[in-house]
Amino acid sequence: MAGYILKRLISAIPVLFGISIIVFIIMAMIPGDPATAILGSYATPENVEKLNRDLGLDKPMVQRYFIWLGNMLQGDFGRSFSLNRAVLDEVLDRFGATLILAGTAFVLCSILGIAAGVVSAARQYGLADKAITFAVLLGISIPSFFLGMMMILIFAVKLRWFPVSGMWPIYGARDLPALISHLTLPAFALAVVATGVIARLSRSAMLEVLRQDFIRTARAKGVHERSVIWRHALRAAMVSIIPVLGVQAGFVLSGAVYIEMVFQWPGVGRMLVGAILKRDILLVQGGVVFVAACYVLFNIAVDVAQSLLDPRIKT
Amino acid sequence: MTLLKLTRRAMLAAGAATALVLSPLMASAQTPSDVLIVGQIAEPKALDPAAVTAVNDFRILMNVYDGLVRYKDGTLEVEPSLATSWDISEDGTVYTFNLRDGVIFHDGSAFNADAVKFNFDRMLDENHPYHNTGPFPLSFFFSAVENVEVVDDMTVRFTLNAPYAPFLSNLAYPTGLIVSPVAVEQHGAEFGRNPSGTGAFKFAEWRSNEAVVIEANADYWDGAPELQAVVFRPITDANTRTAEMLAGGIDLMVEVPPVALSEFQGETYTVHEQAGPHVWFLILNAKEGPFADVRVRQAANYAINKEAIVNDVLEGTAAVAAGPTPPAFAWAYNESLEPYPYDPDKARKLLAEAGAEGAELTFYVTEGGSGMLDPIAMGTAIQADLQAIGLTVNIETYEWNTFLGEVNPGLEGKADMAEMAWMTNDPDTLPFLALRTNAWPDQGGFNSGYYSNPKVDELLEAARAATDQAERARLYQEMQVIVQEDAPWVFVANWKQNAVTSDHVENFSLQPSFFLLLDDVTKN
Repeated sequence: MAGYILKRLISAIPVLFGISIIVFIIMAMIPGDPATAILGSYATPENVEKLNRDLGLDKPMVQRYFIWLGNMLQGDFGRSFSLNRAVLDEVLDRFGATLILAGTAFVLCSILGIAAGVVSAARQYGLADKAITFAVLLGISIPSFFLGMMMILIFAVKLRWFPVSGMWPIYGARDLPALISHLTLPAFALAVVATGVIARLSRSAMLEVLRQDFIRTARAKGVHERSVIWRHALRAAMVSIIPVLGVQAGFVLSGAVYIEMVFQWPGVGRMLVGAILKRDILLVQGGVVFVAACYVLFNIAVDVAQSLLDPRIKT
Repeated sequence: MTLLKLTRRAMLAAGAATALVLSPLMASAQTPSDVLIVGQIAEPKALDPAAVTAVNDFRILMNVYDGLVRYKDGTLEVEPSLATSWDISEDGTVYTFNLRDGVIFHDGSAFNADAVKFNFDRMLDENHPYHNTGPFPLSFFFSAVENVEVVDDMTVRFTLNAPYAPFLSNLAYPTGLIVSPVAVEQHGAEFGRNPSGTGAFKFAEWRSNEAVVIEANADYWDGAPELQAVVFRPITDANTRTAEMLAGGIDLMVEVPPVALSEFQGETYTVHEQAGPHVWFLILNAKEGPFADVRVRQAANYAINKEAIVNDVLEGTAAVAAGPTPPAFAWAYNESLEPYPYDPDKARKLLAEAGAEGAELTFYVTEGGSGMLDPIAMGTAIQADLQAIGLTVNIETYEWNTFLGEVNPGLEGKADMAEMAWMTNDPDTLPFLALRTNAWPDQGGFNSGYYSNPKVDELLEAARAATDQAERARLYQEMQVIVQEDAPWVFVANWKQNAVTSDHVENFSLQPSFFLLLDDVTKN
């Protein structure tokens, strides 16, 4: 097992290396340079040239890449010029917020999605199945940013049950209840689409399992139906559900960009959008590499979890 | 079986717990009564006035710092601030300022002539020990400054390399605000997060991506502010900003999207409007193609229904522009100027005279950008108006930074017209950078449409060298008449900045400078 994990970790290195090259080239190719973005109306060639020199952007591209890579390998991600702050500090701050949001949404969509899928499969073609299928279809079809805006209108502006935006209250304690009240709307808005996808796939995975012989055996032995479904069938179905969860985790993480914009969540997605618009090269590069590394690690973790659950998967 | 029961029980418990946890929150959303919460459009970059360029950041800075001079309330004319008076030499190159006595920076150090010299040397002198706390992107506002001398403790002298009339208004601009040398020495590159000035409010706290908090400076030389503190919250999404205002999460909201204004009718809110030193125009390529003929340029000015654009597309958040200088520069604006009327028949006649009927035009449109208002909808309306007089207009749309990269180097060989907007602090800036012959892109200017009129060049050079405001005003007014007639641009709109305040907020007004001044505001 340890060997398998190590092998997977080593294979991630070229992936990250490739990502660093791609994001660097994209940022170098993208029209409009940081100096122009900073100077706006005042971007005369003369001013741009001077500012580029101050920002260290006058060196050749290849040289710049290796300076960046070398610094990064020593843990120095550089300094964001648009925020005037060390890139790594900013990314870590922001990534924590994204993890809280995406993590909560992920737990929500996993629990709700699997539960809905299981109930749906257990009552195939029944009223519950039809209702859930309808709700799931609706959930998948609504863009999350629109849903988020509607949730703000209803639950924050009209009913005033939750705050509109942000992660912490401006005044008052920064404690768990405060966090939960700020987190509820964005986490649900973010979870909806993934819940739908997970519910649909859980349903078909469960239906597959429910047709198998060991289920019939269990029922023949007189095991209670609830136990058959939730204990015997679900455990077997999890093997095909877990990879879906892994993929959905990626979607939740990337979907967080929209939700963070709508709810002004101080996460890494909103940071990256702002950084791209301001052509804050180091912040974009550092942020993307960091998120990519986390995503790669998470995928490895999913594969490991799957191989633990299903001994048939060779390590 | 047990599993499901457990789940039910757990869900009930979880639900109850959530309700318990949330119940006190409903009541605690209120903020202290003498603290103003402002909904900003973005996280500031830094609170170092020499290092920032965005209006968004200026809105905070103007409350924390003072300059040697400032704009008189409600105008764009300068008045004394940290300098109590000044003399300008005959030839307009030497400015001597007498400084205000007894002013103390928030960090406790004294404001004096050395502090002023430190500020400008830091920005302008590459060998200054704290020049590395930059970069200072707008330092060219003071590129005419040759040196700054300390005459005595309370007198400072600026020598310019040539007469440069906008110098005083540039000092009133945020780039000219005075920071505490002691704080710069103490914090170095981190000064932008640990600011110290002489202003009505002093910096208290910056929570990244959440809020910047400033607190009243009880010792402010111009009278302590009424508010105890101001909190600036960055809320980039305009819809979310509107929702926060409606939900009571903020007391003051800037840059209200036109479509959201209707939400704030009624007694609970006050909508504020103020025309600013902004002009939205179309650059016309006067070097080649149909617009090389002045009659076609004038035809475009007649053909475009500017009233419809400001009233319908922009929902009244802008006024029709008459010429290159915004009316907000009241002292330099030519009141006799009338906007080109909407007259498609006259436009068709001019086109026919020029033999340009049915010409095909390439039109650069941007998706957004500072001061660009609603560029796609405006571009589409303009396209329709020009097509109504028989011109074929092909729109090409670009993201803002890409757009600037296409437009700033000049339109030659690429396009016939392009959208553009400028917001400036002196009537000199825009025409000097974008209408002179010596400001063609190949010479480092922004005259992307290659307009050239020797008389205009002469007037602008003379206005820059004049130190008498009345004389400058006369020159600018003459320039405006010629430029309107020559029509190097289509003059479209002057943006009215807006803001909404809740009924708790009093004594608030917007400034034509677009700065946000909060020292007189109260909240009950």
